[in-house]
Amino acid sequence: MRNRVVAFVLAVVAAAALSSALPAQTGQGPGSAKPAAASAPAPAHDLSGVWNMHSTPAQRKYTGNTYTAEPPAMTPWATEKYNGEKPSNGPRTHSLQETDDPVLKECLPPGTPRIYLQPFPFQIVQTPKEIFILFEYDHTIRQIFMDGRAHPDDITPTYMGHSIGKWEGDTLVVDTVGFNDKTWLDRDGHPHSDQLHVTERFHRADRDNMTIDITMEDPKALVKPWVSSQLNFQLHPEWDIMELACTDNGAFLGFEK
Amino acid sequence: MGDIVKHSRLSFLAVCIGLLAVGPVAYAHHGTANYDTGKSITVKGVVTGFDFVNPHVQIFWEAKDDSGTMQKWQGELTSPNRLSRVGWTKSSIKPGDTINISGYPTKSGSNEIWIQKVVMGNGEELPTGMGN
Repeated sequence: MRNRVVAFVLAVVAAAALSSALPAQTGQGPGSAKPAAASAPAPAHDLSGVWNMHSTPAQRKYTGNTYTAEPPAMTPWATEKYNGEKPSNGPRTHSLQETDDPVLKECLPPGTPRIYLQPFPFQIVQTPKEIFILFEYDHTIRQIFMDGRAHPDDITPTYMGHSIGKWEGDTLVVDTVGFNDKTWLDRDGHPHSDQLHVTERFHRADRDNMTIDITMEDPKALVKPWVSSQLNFQLHPEWDIMELACTDNGAFLGFEK
Repeated sequence: MGDIVKHSRLSFLAVCIGLLAVGPVAYAHHGTANYDTGKSITVKGVVTGFDFVNPHVQIFWEAKDDSGTMQKWQGELTSPNRLSRVGWTKSSIKPGDTINISGYPTKSGSNEIWIQKVVMGNGEELPTGMGN
């Protein structure tokens, strides 16, 4: 299966290179209104730059708070937890004073992949042995080890997880485990356990457009993998990542600590 | 805010209220529970304060209601990070500026707006950064 995926990706890249005179597909998913204007080819194995989520009209119905139009298949444990949460985004919205969203209430790190749902850009910085993703939201950093290492045996749980990555053709595949259970999977309040395992596939279709496919697996929370296909991101060479400290929310809301 | 103020403000709002389609932006923004995203109000007045800070840029202004009483208003926008990417700076709005602000009113009827549109006294509309 994997070899066929790689072959398909390489064929797409080759076709794109051959047809560079034609308007490039942006990699945008269903519901895309029209093909984007021509962009330059993607540099090989290079995701560097400042990126911002750029959802299609169809995706925009849910990418403000979650990954798919359909909800995930949750276990009874997760369903009970989910029903008790009070998010401040999405269809079950509560006020900022009532919400128990750990990001809004306590400024906890959002976790992976929820960090993608915070509506601020991120910068990918590549070095030979590591890829860093610098998120504008609350100066959150993800570190993806590219040196071939495995996950540690006795892993210390973290909010953002331990990430290792490798290239499969022109797709960067990132494997992340080692999560604590203090974060939500999304802004809707879907829960996860410390058994969460996230797989991301980054594909830069052309210079300006990148998609990320996300698979979330968690035997305690999800009956089957929750798959988000083709979240779209657009390059913004004219932007710099700025500062945004979550602690300012507390002052704004008058929280007393 | 007392009943007298509320009454005069209601008639003031009756002039201004129009229907606004609920868009997907409602789900993307947190804390929408306090606002009535099915309605729109527009209030024109004079700026008294401008906080270009995270998490939400805030504009403070004053406007006379129907009875001629000066009312204090405040409204919130998105993060200054997003506004700066569409051209705002901390000097874009200054106390004393004439300003025309449209947006969603609160459900409680308080003098607060979730700002959707800002037009300065000279007619210039400032983009509100909701696209990024």
